[in-house]
Amino acid sequence: MAVDLQQADASSVLEARRIHNQKLARQHDQTRATWFPLVVLGVLLALPLLQLTGNYNYLLHLVLFTASYAVMASGWNIIGGFAGYISLGHAVFFAIGGYFSGVLLARYGISSLLTAPLAGLVAAICGYLVGLITLKVRGPSFIISSIALLMIARILFDHWGFIGGANGMSLPVTDLPVQTAKLPYYYAFVLMAAFTVWATYRIKHSKFGLGLRALSKDEVKAESAGINTRFYKVLAFALSAFFVGMSGAVWGEYLTYLRPNIFLIILVSANLVLMCILGGKGTIAGPVVGAILIVAFNEIFVATLGASEINILATGFVMVLGLMFFPNGVIGTLARKGKLPRVLNWD
Amino acid sequence: MTDILQILILGLALGGVIALMGSGLSLVFGVMRIVNLAHPSLIICGAYVSYWAFKLWGLDPIATLPIAALIMAAIGVLLYRLMFESQAKSARYSEMTVLLTFALAMIVEGFLGAAFTNTQRVTSPEYATDAFFIGSLFIPKGQLYAGCVSLAIIGALTLFLNYSRLGYAIRATTQNREAAELLGVNVNLISMIAFAIGIGLAGAAGSLVSFVFSFFPAKQWEWIAMLMSVVVLGGMGSVLGTVVAALLLSVIAAFVGAWVGATWSTMTFFLALFVILLIRPQGLFGEKPELA
Amino acid sequence: MSELLQVTNITAGYGDGPAILDGARLTVEPGKVHCIIGPNGAGKSTLLKAICGMLTIRKGDVVFKGERLNGLRPDQILRKGICFVPQERALFPKMTVRENLRMGGYVLDDTKLRDRRIDEILERFPVLRERADQHAGTMSGGQQQTLAMARTLIVKPDIVMLDEPSLGLAPKVVQEMFDIMKMMSQEGVTVLLVEQNALMGLKNSDWGVVLDLGRTLFEGPAEAVLADPRIQELYLGGRKVA
Ligand SMILES: Nc1ncnc2c1ncn2[C@@H]1O[C@H](COP(=O)(O)OP(=O)(O)OP(=O)(O)O)[C@@H](O)[C@H]1O
Ligand SMILES: [Mg+2]
Repeated sequence: MAVDLQQADASSVLEARRIHNQKLARQHDQTRATWFPLVVLGVLLALPLLQLTGNYNYLLHLVLFTASYAVMASGWNIIGGFAGYISLGHAVFFAIGGYFSGVLLARYGISSLLTAPLAGLVAAICGYLVGLITLKVRGPSFIISSIALLMIARILFDHWGFIGGANGMSLPVTDLPVQTAKLPYYYAFVLMAAFTVWATYRIKHSKFGLGLRALSKDEVKAESAGINTRFYKVLAFALSAFFVGMSGAVWGEYLTYLRPNIFLIILVSANLVLMCILGGKGTIAGPVVGAILIVAFNEIFVATLGASEINILATGFVMVLGLMFFPNGVIGTLARKGKLPRVLNWD
Repeated sequence: MTDILQILILGLALGGVIALMGSGLSLVFGVMRIVNLAHPSLIICGAYVSYWAFKLWGLDPIATLPIAALIMAAIGVLLYRLMFESQAKSARYSEMTVLLTFALAMIVEGFLGAAFTNTQRVTSPEYATDAFFIGSLFIPKGQLYAGCVSLAIIGALTLFLNYSRLGYAIRATTQNREAAELLGVNVNLISMIAFAIGIGLAGAAGSLVSFVFSFFPAKQWEWIAMLMSVVVLGGMGSVLGTVVAALLLSVIAAFVGAWVGATWSTMTFFLALFVILLIRPQGLFGEKPELA
Repeated sequence: MSELLQVTNITAGYGDGPAILDGARLTVEPGKVHCIIGPNGAGKSTLLKAICGMLTIRKGDVVFKGERLNGLRPDQILRKGICFVPQERALFPKMTVRENLRMGGYVLDDTKLRDRRIDEILERFPVLRERADQHAGTMSGGQQQTLAMARTLIVKPDIVMLDEPSLGLAPKVVQEMFDIMKMMSQEGVTVLLVEQNALMGLKNSDWGVVLDLGRTLFEGPAEAVLADPRIQELYLGGRKVA
């Protein structure tokens, strides 16, 4: 379509310019496949039927584990993916959720499955308050502040006698028979994951989500376009804390004990970031895909190598490789190349 | 009164070491806009160099400081080449590099943990447990030596940055990378040199740290937050600011430790970070908030 | 042919993004003033950045004095004799005017020569002499642009590329910038100018280049460009264009 000015008239230059601009603006004309996540959910809900034919507890554990991470990574995605604020301190909300419900369970015998939404709310309120302070800065300073948050929380939890300090506290063990013992947690996590995916989808496509994406690109411009950026990002932070806290609550009861050196470690936060990046930050399916990849990867490594040092080493290594060679994650990279299979396009 | 003086002295000596720990971080941020979360883990690497040199051959950690610095600087060149050079043109540079250094920190921790286990180590030359007494004041020799060596190294660094041609190029790159490039500075080379110097400083700090603090691979997370609060207070990228902030915070931490409790002494740094972000996000010496 | 710089059908873009330039060409003849015009986003700045080595050239050639410049770093290209003043002027805000000039001579190994040329420049630009010890960031836009242009003279380049020197300046100050440019040209420096105000740019130039959609649509003597009805219609405001 070479336009030669010597022959062409002005309107054909204008037409060429329009086509040119269109080519530069990347297109997202792919259609969504809503049925796919629904089918997956159906399969997962029916999966425990396998228990009738034998002991599939390990499989259930894996799915449950993945679902719990999918909840948290999708939650993290709200602030980290949509709003562009990378937080390495989300383990704090995991711990807040876990401890809040854990205390209720240990003292009053109320199951965490019931109090999980409340735990999420508590985490969200904490997130809101913390966000008011730390979200004043962006970029590297914010990342640093999120690490500091984790360190502060760790010292507080380690020295707070009421929740057992560094030794943590143990929670009552379920008295269900071994065949069904995992089921309540299994369903809790699978349903939470489904809810989270749906919620992040709704958030992304709301006016709020649009505002978040605008401020992640350019905060000053978003502000001048009339977006209350401060409120938006603090709310996003609180929302992401909500999901992480909720997951922490159920996880605590499932694990039957709470301890700072399990809940309040940077590896938990790192995993969330890693999942979103490997899967595709800012996409809906990305965190879920990332969670599946990381859990599978972890299982292989733990099975073959054991030691937690090696695990840290391997996590770091995968993260470097992922960042360097797939900076946009699986979903992001495929979408950019226009090769994203329809079943994975949940955006 | 002597009490207060005593705490002040201890705080200042430690502050000197922390300043050295933070200066490399600050330099790397200033020139390359990389928040190097792996810095503390590389300090710990340096500490292991001096630790093993002492343990195996009885070499004094201050004497092995140049060796640790050189080894780490060489590793710095390698890391720059492998990980950061290719990021220079990335559209999400600051985010990508932070995450890369974070991953690097995990790799180093995992590696050191696998190689040397997570037991607490400390190098114990004689002076580490010795002290000078002036009246009723006591000054631990180890901390005093470490503080003085640190400040000497930082002094040399400052002279280098302000008066050498290379230092000039480094400062120009810090202020306006694109402009420096257009005026004929090979910014990639300058970045590599600055990065190597920064990591070399981490190695040097590691030698001193090895007999001032006890260390183990996972200790890095505590130090990250501590050093970051120093660097943020000092106004990201200003070496002088880092020194002042390190001295200030570690004196405050010493008082908190003496009067409130040892646990809360490390907490000082983390809380300080929050307070700074709340009231003066650009730090003491920064001119505008860091909105990367 | 007596061209100094020859750019043939280059393709370039930012990072791994789409090709912003695709088929841009340019002929620069010694001693003349060349003006590139085109709408916002046409790729004018991108073209200058590609020439000076800030962007990798994916296809095509940049040949300067018979030598290919593709793949060289900006500092190497500067040493060859091509100097670039970008749209955002590239000063060191926290260095004084004198220090900025000194940085301008960074590639000169002879510091005596450098200092002599700095003195010459301060002599010729009283605005700068008066503010020699003031921080560059605290000067007015016009003064900053003067500094950025004057700074190029320290290395005595063959070609100076100016990206919108008039940007954000009052009309009277804009004329001063064009005067400086003319003076540079009279001293034998070849000028390659990007100008948003096409009319004014072309009137002050010998050679005109029309860049649009990332490629060169027309190249010729400035008067010919000014006279062409289609160019008038599209780029000189002969008719309202979207
Ligand atoms: N740093 C960058 N990274 C990615 N794309 C860029 C960058 N700078 C410019 N672009 C894109 O390149 C295209 C051309 O931009 P360029 O700055 O070259 O235009 P221009 O002709 O100089 O316009 P103006 O008159 O507005 O300065 C635009 O579509 C722009 O979006
Ligand atoms: Mg431009």
